[in-house]
Amino acid sequence: MTLIHVPRPPRNAYDPNRPVSALLKAQVEYLHDAERRLPSHYRGEIYINAIKTEGEAAKYIREVTEAIHEAHEEAAAARTRVAPKRKRVIEIAAVADERAERKRTSTAQKRSKKKTSGKSGRKK
Amino acid sequence: MPPGLDKLQHIVVLMMENRSFDHMLGSLKAVNPKIDGVTPDLSNPDSSGNPVKAQPLAEFQAQLQPDPDHHFPAVDLQIFGGDTSASRKPNMQGFVKSYFNQQRDLQHSQKIMYYFAQKDLPVLTTLALEFAVFNRWFASIPGPTICNRAFAHYGTSFGRVDMNLLYINEPFKSIYNRLIDATPKHTSKLYYYDTASSTMEITNLLQHQPELFGTYQQFLDDCNKGNLPDYSFVEPNYSDHDTDSGEETANDQHPDHNVQHGEIFIASIYQAIKNSKLWPNTALLIVYDEHGGIYDHVVPPACSPDQFTASANDTGTGMPFAFDRLGVRVPAILVSPWVQKGTVVDRVFDHASIPATVTKFFVGEYSPRSPRETNADVFIEPNSGTIDPARNLLSLDTMRADCPDFDV
Repeated sequence: MTLIHVPRPPRNAYDPNRPVSALLKAQVEYLHDAERRLPSHYRGEIYINAIKTEGEAAKYIREVTEAIHEAHEEAAAARTRVAPKRKRVIEIAAVADERAERKRTSTAQKRSKKKTSGKSGRKK
Repeated sequence: MPPGLDKLQHIVVLMMENRSFDHMLGSLKAVNPKIDGVTPDLSNPDSSGNPVKAQPLAEFQAQLQPDPDHHFPAVDLQIFGGDTSASRKPNMQGFVKSYFNQQRDLQHSQKIMYYFAQKDLPVLTTLALEFAVFNRWFASIPGPTICNRAFAHYGTSFGRVDMNLLYINEPFKSIYNRLIDATPKHTSKLYYYDTASSTMEITNLLQHQPELFGTYQQFLDDCNKGNLPDYSFVEPNYSDHDTDSGEETANDQHPDHNVQHGEIFIASIYQAIKNSKLWPNTALLIVYDEHGGIYDHVVPPACSPDQFTASANDTGTGMPFAFDRLGVRVPAILVSPWVQKGTVVDRVFDHASIPATVTKFFVGEYSPRSPRETNADVFIEPNSGTIDPARNLLSLDTMRADCPDFDV
């Protein structure tokens, strides 16, 4: 197997102040369109016409992309919370049995507790 | 069934930005004459009519400023040399003229003819020589990024030839939806580099199905865990930006981003797959979305039209466009340990071949698809029926053990 060396670019290749290209401008506009459809509390305050550099564009793109993900996660969570679990008759009957059983257990425990506290009271 | 096709479970497509075939791989003609690269006789006239030769003088950065024009009217000039007559023929003689139009600088306009020496691009040229390189993979449209990338996702650009917001029309579903809606269900993911780079052209999918998206880091993790989806589409980093963990440099190779960062990125995707247990079961296509206004010598062929037509107003050339001609040629390489070393493919492909191939391989016959996609060739044969050995690129009987590694 041959191992091929891949040269590293110079450090000064990095320039977040490089002016935005037509491509990045288009991407910002698409995400702006997406941002307008988000719930208001997910919308940011960046004025896209003032974006001039790659670093600024990236900041905006990140904000909107993360907001889209968060908005969907929030909607999914809300869906889970709100969706009522419809119970069938058998389940309702089972729940009624469970409640009756819990009540019986609870009453028995209370009685037993009373007895115990009475004992200790008496000890006092 | 050939073992390479039998074992294939994952297709990964990495789409880079804005470089032509001759610019990136043209030097390989000297190494393998079957590769249709640059020859000493290739030239374009400058604005004074003097011939400008293609030369191996391309630089990694700071050479192609301003960004060469690759909107529809400029590409029309590049392909037809400025001839707007009804009887015109494409001749690839307008690249220097087109670049001159941007700065009116004769010397600077010649740089559009420069290509990289083989030694400058050790990753891309090695992969091209080691696996299958496509001599005739063209951009889908003689135009810019967005509409070309749309063909990779939908098999059509829905009539667009520009950078305007892409509104998706029924009935053509994205390749991702075709896969996840199929029976049996398939898995699919788009990996953008990070949230600050995000996805370039399919914000409509991001808005409605963000669960389809992941990051480059997740791609690496998925490779590492052997959890790649059936189909993955990987996007590079489109910008220089700060992150919580430091600086991220653009690696999409779009002018004027440093080309070496793209080389590292390509190598990292290749190594992530090669170092994983999925290597025997994965095919990686590395392709560029369009030529970025940079010289290539091969005339884009005519093709069967799409069902859409861009108006004369939309094209900006005074002529409508029926999507009946491909864009300029771009680099494309198919990587798999089942590909014969030194394979050179002469069949014609464009980005509509991506959804065509993935659909046919995983889903089988599918309708509706755009006329362009329906007529596009596939680069991996469907794993059913009779396989034509002459078309099958994953043709080896035993898996290669001699594939190269990169020190990334």
